[in-house]
Amino acid sequence: MVTFNRRQTMGLIGAAAATSLAAPAIAQNKKIVVGALRFTSHSASFVAAERAYFQEAGLDVELRFFQAAQPMAVAIASGDVDYAVTAISGGLISLADKGAIKVIGGAVSEEPGIEGQKILASDAAFQAGLTSPAGLDGKKFGISTAGSSFHYMGSKVAEAEGINMSFTPLQKVGAIIGALKSGQIDAWSIVPHIAKPLAGSGAVHIIGNVSDYLPNYQVTTVFTSATNANDERQQTSDFLKAFSMGASDYNSAMIDKSGGEDGVNEMVDLIHKYVYTDLERAKAAPSIINGTMRINEGARMNIASVQNQLSWFQSEGLIDGDITLDTFVDTSYVETFEA
Amino acid sequence: MSEATLPSQPIEVRFRGGGFAPKARRWVGLFVFVLLIGITEIGTRQGWISSLTLPKPSDVLATFGELWESGLLFKHLIPSLSRLAVGATLGASIGIVVGIMIGLFSYVRAGMVPLVAAIFPIPKIALLPLFVIWFGIDEASKYALIAFGTFTPTVVATYGAVDNVDRSLIRMGQSFGLSWLSIVRKIVLPGAMPGILSGLRISLAIAIILLVAAEMLGAEYGIGAYILEAGSLYDLERLFAGVVILSLLGVILSTVIGFIERRILGWRA
Repeated sequence: MVTFNRRQTMGLIGAAAATSLAAPAIAQNKKIVVGALRFTSHSASFVAAERAYFQEAGLDVELRFFQAAQPMAVAIASGDVDYAVTAISGGLISLADKGAIKVIGGAVSEEPGIEGQKILASDAAFQAGLTSPAGLDGKKFGISTAGSSFHYMGSKVAEAEGINMSFTPLQKVGAIIGALKSGQIDAWSIVPHIAKPLAGSGAVHIIGNVSDYLPNYQVTTVFTSATNANDERQQTSDFLKAFSMGASDYNSAMIDKSGGEDGVNEMVDLIHKYVYTDLERAKAAPSIINGTMRINEGARMNIASVQNQLSWFQSEGLIDGDITLDTFVDTSYVETFEA
Repeated sequence: MSEATLPSQPIEVRFRGGGFAPKARRWVGLFVFVLLIGITEIGTRQGWISSLTLPKPSDVLATFGELWESGLLFKHLIPSLSRLAVGATLGASIGIVVGIMIGLFSYVRAGMVPLVAAIFPIPKIALLPLFVIWFGIDEASKYALIAFGTFTPTVVATYGAVDNVDRSLIRMGQSFGLSWLSIVRKIVLPGAMPGILSGLRISLAIAIILLVAAEMLGAEYGIGAYILEAGSLYDLERLFAGVVILSLLGVILSTVIGFIERRILGWRA
């Protein structure tokens, strides 16, 4: 048996710490890490990885999965992850303000004519007459945390209807679903692939569409570390190109149905490798199809919607009022539009 | 022989006792705090600690000042303190009663000790969704979580303290013909008090830890909710301001217990 004296042991611990610290720096030169959640809204990354679009662009991509968007944003800031897709939140903007991250492109957005995120009401509230968002006055609206996209959507709905709601922070999506089912909160808004099965069970009811209140809402964006955005321009545009190809394949298969039923099935098979992996194909397929939302072609970004979200976070006092769009978004990579 | 040649001189023996007794060194604790905060302040100002790593201590202080001026401090502090007071009182008092029962009655001991051992390692935070179903989303679930978390360490500390009461004192009481109730009241309870109070220090610290967990669900106001919100917004100044409030709460509670110890345990001196 190898025995160590104390000095050797300390040396080993030091060496181990040094190598583990140095590892990410080495990895960055060879390959990139793309963060993702196991949601259909992240399909562009899955398609680009499966169909080797990343490889063609000269990128060796490792997909790393997270349970929530917030840790993913922090991982980008710490340099453990290079690129990721997430909803715009107060935390994301604060990290950008600290010079850690930049939004470089658009991903999922609401589009009139496509079923997007739903507004849900609990069964108890529904039976008591909450059948449209206009009746939300004085109700409890579930959110994950203050400054989350749920908070933004709820506020915008309330603003449009001219009503007041109270927001109940419940941290996790699972907790919100539990509270909604047991009637402890009255309403919530969520992506269709979660909304539809819930409504199907009869415990909650769909009472409206987010797109009625926020047409062309830029729900998620592609973001990266400020270092990647500023110093690794080639790598970043290569990534966006491959990502866009994935998005384009996804849109044409799932929304435009260019490949017909077979095209949809093929895409579902591909996505099923990453999403709902614990369910068998037959059960997963409806959820994956229900979750279809358009991912912006060419990762183009609705800058008006981004500006609207930024202003809302500022008006709520959730983030510093001095943050400008330029500190948050790098518009040099993709086409932007205002809608 | 060498022994014979050495004159038998008296050997001077240096006094070797002393030491190993902590003495009060008044300003050292404060100095450590000032030094650490000073280094952080200089580092963040000069830029070798990035704003992503740590906030400027002076900004944290400014945030604290804003909290105070806007009146938000008490809006957050009062619900938290009431949750802490109700939850910890409930958990600690039931815990002390159960602990004493375990210490006194063998059947209770046989029944409860395995149960407490089974409950103790359960992360109470993991049960949070269940608590919401049982007790609702409002105050009751927060009281319950804190009470549940303080209950088990209090039980363990209490029955340990009762077990450690000097048996010879109990035997003496018996030989003087004291009744069972008298022995419990005059020997067991006062004898167990030091152990119970030092157990309370731990359980109350756990109560403060659980405050943040309790306010994860459905709390708009409260120090825990404030910290969680700051964390999700990556607002380090507010995060640290909240953490400092929790630390101060811990120091205050510990001081209060120290005061109670001096009052109740005056007989030890």
